[in-house]
Amino acid sequence: MRIGVYLCQAGIGDPDAVDLHSIAGYAANLPGVEVVKDLGKLPRIDPKVLADEIKSSKIERIVIAGDSPGFFKPGFTRALALAGGDPTEVKLASFREYGASTGAGTDRAKSVLACATLGVPFPLAAVPDTTAVHPDTLVVGGGVAGIQAALEIGDAGKKVYLVERTGTIGGHMAQFDKTFPTLDCAACILTPKMVAVGQHEMIDLMTYCEVDDVSGSPGSYKVKIRKKARRVDEDACVACHDCAAVCPVRVPSEFDNGIVERKAVYMPFPQAVPNVYVVDGDSCTYVQSDGKKCGVCAKKCPKECIDLDQTDEIVEIEVGNIILAVGYEVYDAHKIERYGYGALPNVLTALEFERLTNASGPTGGKIVCKTKRFNKRKKADEWVFDADEGESPKSIAIVHCVGSRDANHNPYCSRVCCMYSLKFAHLVTEKLPDADCYEFYIDMRAFGKGYEEFADRIKAEGTFVIRGRTAKVHEADGRLVIRGEEIVEEELVEFPVDMVLLSVGLVPTADSARLAAMLGLATDGDGWFSELDYNAAPTETERGGIYVAGLCQGPKDIPDTVAQASAVAAGVLKSIAIGRGLDSRADLSLSDIEARAASLTRA
Amino acid sequence: MAIRANPKLIYELEKYGADDVSKCYHCGNCSATCPLTSSDSIFPRRDMRNLQMGLESNLESSVDPWLCYYCGQCSDECPRDAEPGETMMSLRRWLTSRYDWTGISRLIYRSWKAELSAIVFLAIITGIFFLAMGFWKGDIHDYDGANAFLQSGESWYGIPVFWRMSGWGIHLFDWLLAAVLVFFLGTNCIRMWWFSMGRDRDLHFSLWAYVKNIWLLPFHFFTQKRYATCERKTPWAIHLWLMLSYVTMLILIMVFLELMWSGPGVDWRVHAFGLTAAGGLLITSLYVLRGRVVKTETHYKYSHESDWMFLILLLVVTCTGILQFFLHRFGSDVAANIAYVVHLMAVVPMLGLEVPFSKWSHLAYRPLGMYFHHVREDTVAAEQPVREPLGAAQAA
Repeated sequence: MRIGVYLCQAGIGDPDAVDLHSIAGYAANLPGVEVVKDLGKLPRIDPKVLADEIKSSKIERIVIAGDSPGFFKPGFTRALALAGGDPTEVKLASFREYGASTGAGTDRAKSVLACATLGVPFPLAAVPDTTAVHPDTLVVGGGVAGIQAALEIGDAGKKVYLVERTGTIGGHMAQFDKTFPTLDCAACILTPKMVAVGQHEMIDLMTYCEVDDVSGSPGSYKVKIRKKARRVDEDACVACHDCAAVCPVRVPSEFDNGIVERKAVYMPFPQAVPNVYVVDGDSCTYVQSDGKKCGVCAKKCPKECIDLDQTDEIVEIEVGNIILAVGYEVYDAHKIERYGYGALPNVLTALEFERLTNASGPTGGKIVCKTKRFNKRKKADEWVFDADEGESPKSIAIVHCVGSRDANHNPYCSRVCCMYSLKFAHLVTEKLPDADCYEFYIDMRAFGKGYEEFADRIKAEGTFVIRGRTAKVHEADGRLVIRGEEIVEEELVEFPVDMVLLSVGLVPTADSARLAAMLGLATDGDGWFSELDYNAAPTETERGGIYVAGLCQGPKDIPDTVAQASAVAAGVLKSIAIGRGLDSRADLSLSDIEARAASLTRA
Repeated sequence: MAIRANPKLIYELEKYGADDVSKCYHCGNCSATCPLTSSDSIFPRRDMRNLQMGLESNLESSVDPWLCYYCGQCSDECPRDAEPGETMMSLRRWLTSRYDWTGISRLIYRSWKAELSAIVFLAIITGIFFLAMGFWKGDIHDYDGANAFLQSGESWYGIPVFWRMSGWGIHLFDWLLAAVLVFFLGTNCIRMWWFSMGRDRDLHFSLWAYVKNIWLLPFHFFTQKRYATCERKTPWAIHLWLMLSYVTMLILIMVFLELMWSGPGVDWRVHAFGLTAAGGLLITSLYVLRGRVVKTETHYKYSHESDWMFLILLLVVTCTGILQFFLHRFGSDVAANIAYVVHLMAVVPMLGLEVPFSKWSHLAYRPLGMYFHHVREDTVAAEQPVREPLGAAQAA
C-alpha cells in the first residue's frame, strides 16, 4: 500500500513538545510511505490541488499527523475521494490525544504515527503487560468524587485509605446550597455519605494529611503520607467548642470563602467528618510564637486533648491502586480588574454567594448587601455581611464566563457556571420576589438531562436573560453600574444594580501540578490531568494503577463527578478481583508498540 | 430588499489586514468596552457580524469604521483574540478601496508589489521631469537666485512659465497636483456619501440635518476630539501633533513657498513655523515607526504593507526637506539641489497615492464619517420612537 504522510499542526498546546523534523524523517522510512509533507500550522487544504498530488504519486492511504489532525480530516477525505481513492483510508495520527504533547514526546508521536500508517488504532497496539496488584487502595481527595469512590470500594469489602488535605471531607459540594437542576439540598445528599465514610470499617479516613511521596510500580505503590499536626486528638475530641470560644485569633474562614471569620482552632463546619477541631498552625499565636504566647485553648479543653506542640508525622502505606480526586479551585476574580472584584464590596464570586444564600451560612441564608462597619481591632472600616442591618438588594446582575472561554484567562468552558448561575437566579427570585435579576451570558450551555428545561423555567420566573458579556463593573453614586451589549437587540446596556455575582470558572488546584510531577502524570495545557483515552478510558492514566476522578480530570458537574468516581471504583475493583492490573503505557518503548501494531495487522 | 451575502468577503478582507474575524463568538465585550460606541452605532461587533455573514452592502454603507480611532482596548480584552480593532482598521482600508472609483486603491491595497511599483514609477517620472527642467533652464550649482536649479524666478511678461520651471512654476505644479488630488478625493467622497447616505431608502435625511451638523467637519478635522475620548490620551496627542505639523507644512508650501526659499532675506518667522512643523513630523513619524517595529502598543501590533510604505515615504519626505534646507544653509548648493529633487521624488508618490487612494484619504473620510453619523442620528431620533432600554427600571 502506498501511503502519504501529511504533518499538519492545529497549534494546540506546547509547540515544542515534539520534534517534527525527526518525526518526518522517521515517517519517510516506514514501510509503504511514499510521500511525507510538512504542511505547517493551520494549513488551508485545497482538496483539488491535493487530489492531483495524490493521483500523481498514486497514494492509497493518507495519514494526517499532528497535535489535533482531525481538524483537517474533511479536506483530505474529499481530496482522496476526488482522486478516486477510498475515502475511509484517511487515518489520523493524533499526537496530543495520545499523550505526545507532554512527557513522552517525540517517541510517542512516532509510535502513534507508525500505528496510523498500519491502520491499527493506537490504543489497541499500546497495551501494556499486566502486574500483580496489592488489594489496598489510596484515594487522594475527600470531595464528593473521593467519597463516592471510597464508599464503592469499601462497600465491596476492600481496604481504602482516604487522604484529605483539610480538616474535614466534603469538599466544595459541602459548601453548596442547592444542586442544579433538581434544586435538591446539597448537604442532604452529601452529609449521609460523609458520615458513612467516617463510620466505615474498610475506610481509613486520614484528614489533615497530604501525600508526600509515591514510589514503586503499578500494582504496588509505596506511599508516604504526611499527617500534618492537627494538634487536637481526633479520638478524644468531643467537639464541645470550648477551645474555639476562648481563642483570640480571627482569620477568614475557608469554608465560608472568607465572608466571615473563624478562630485559629476551629471546626470547618458543624457537620464536619470527622467531627473534630483542628488547630491552624499558620495563624495560631502559640505556634507562631514558638510556645511563648497564648495557649489558652489547651488549658481550657475539658478533655485535655489539645497538644499545641505536636509536629508533622510521616506514615508509610502500600497500595495497589491510587485514585486521584483532588478537585479544583475557582478562578481568582482579582485577575479580571474590569469587574472590580476586591475593590467593590458587593461584587461577589459564585462560591461567596453560595455561602451567603446557604441556610447554614453567616446570614442564615438571607441575601443581603454588605454593610460598612468599623473594626476596632484593625482600626479600619470593613464591609461585612450582617443579616439584621444589611439591606436586601433590589437588583442583582450575574456575569457568566468570568475567566472562562477567554483567551486572556482560561480558553476552556468551565461547564458548570451557566447552570449554577441559573440556580442563583432562581434562589434570588425565590428569596427576594421583588428583586430584579439579570443574567449576562455568552452562550447558555444547558447541556444535561433536564438542564434546558431548567433554563426555560428560570426565564419563565422573570429573570432577565441578556445575551452579551459584561465588559465592565464600576461604581457611581454609591451603586454598582454594569455595562454590556445586548446582542439580540443590538443595544448597549448600562444600568445600576446592588449586587454583582461573578460566575467564576474552574481551574486545577496547585496540588494537581505537584502530584502530576511526583507521579509522572501528564496534564493537558490547562493543567487538568490527562486521561488515557478521552472516549474509551476516561478514568485511567498513562501510569498503570493510577486513576483520575472528578474535577481534577476536567470541569464537570456533580452527577458526572459521581458517575466517574463509581467508574473508577469499578476499574480498581476489577484489578483487585482478578489480582492483576495493567502496567504503565508510559513504559512501553517505540519498538514494543511497532512490533505489536505489526503483529495486529498480520492477524 | 433582498440582501446579498458574499461568503468570500472574509477572505477578501484578509488582503486588507484582518485575518481573525472568524474567531469572534459575539459576546459583545468589544462594543461594551469601547468608550466611543453608542447604541446607535454598535461597533466593532456589528461589523464583525456583517463580515462573518458576508453582508457586503451593510458594510459598504456603514460609517462605523470611521468612528473608531483604534485605541486597541477591544483587541486587548477580546476573549477570542479576534482582533476587533485590527478588523476595523482593515475595514477602513477596504472602504477606502470601495469609495475609490478608479480601482487604484483596490490594486495597491491588495498587492504591495503594485503599490511599490506605483511609487517607484511616480518617483522616477518626477525625478526625470525635474532634472530635465533643472538642467535645461538652471544651474545645479545654484540653489537660489536667477540661475537656480529648480526655483529661478523667470517669467514671461509677468506670467509664470510653468514649462521653464521657474519658481512660480513649481508653485503652479503644487497647485496643479493639489487640484488633481482634490478631484480624486472629492469624487471618492461623493461616492462615500452615496454609499452611506444617498442610497438609503429607509430614512429621509433633511437638508437642515446636513446644515446643522456641518460644523462637525472642520471641528473633527482639526481637533480629533473623538480620539481624546479613548481611555489613553497619548495616541491622540501623537496623532494630533503629526497632523497639525503636516497641515502647517502644507499651508507654508501651498501659500508661502516663496518665503520659504532661503535667500539673502530670510523671513525667520516662516522658518520658525517651518522648522517646528518639520521637527514635529520627524519626531512623530519616528515615534510611530518605532512603535510599529517594536510593537509597543496594540494599534501598532499589526502593520499592513501600506502602513510601512506610507511611513517610510513620510520619513524620506521629512528628512530630505530638512536636509535641503540645512545643506543650502551650509553652502553646499549642489547637494541641496539633489536633496530637493529626491524630496520631490518622494512627495509626489506620497501625495499622489496616499491622499486619494490610500491611508491618507482618512483626512476626509473620518470627519465625513462622523458628520454623516450625526446626520443619521438626528434623523433617526426624529423619525423613530425611542425604545425603553433594558435596566431602565434600575436607573430610575
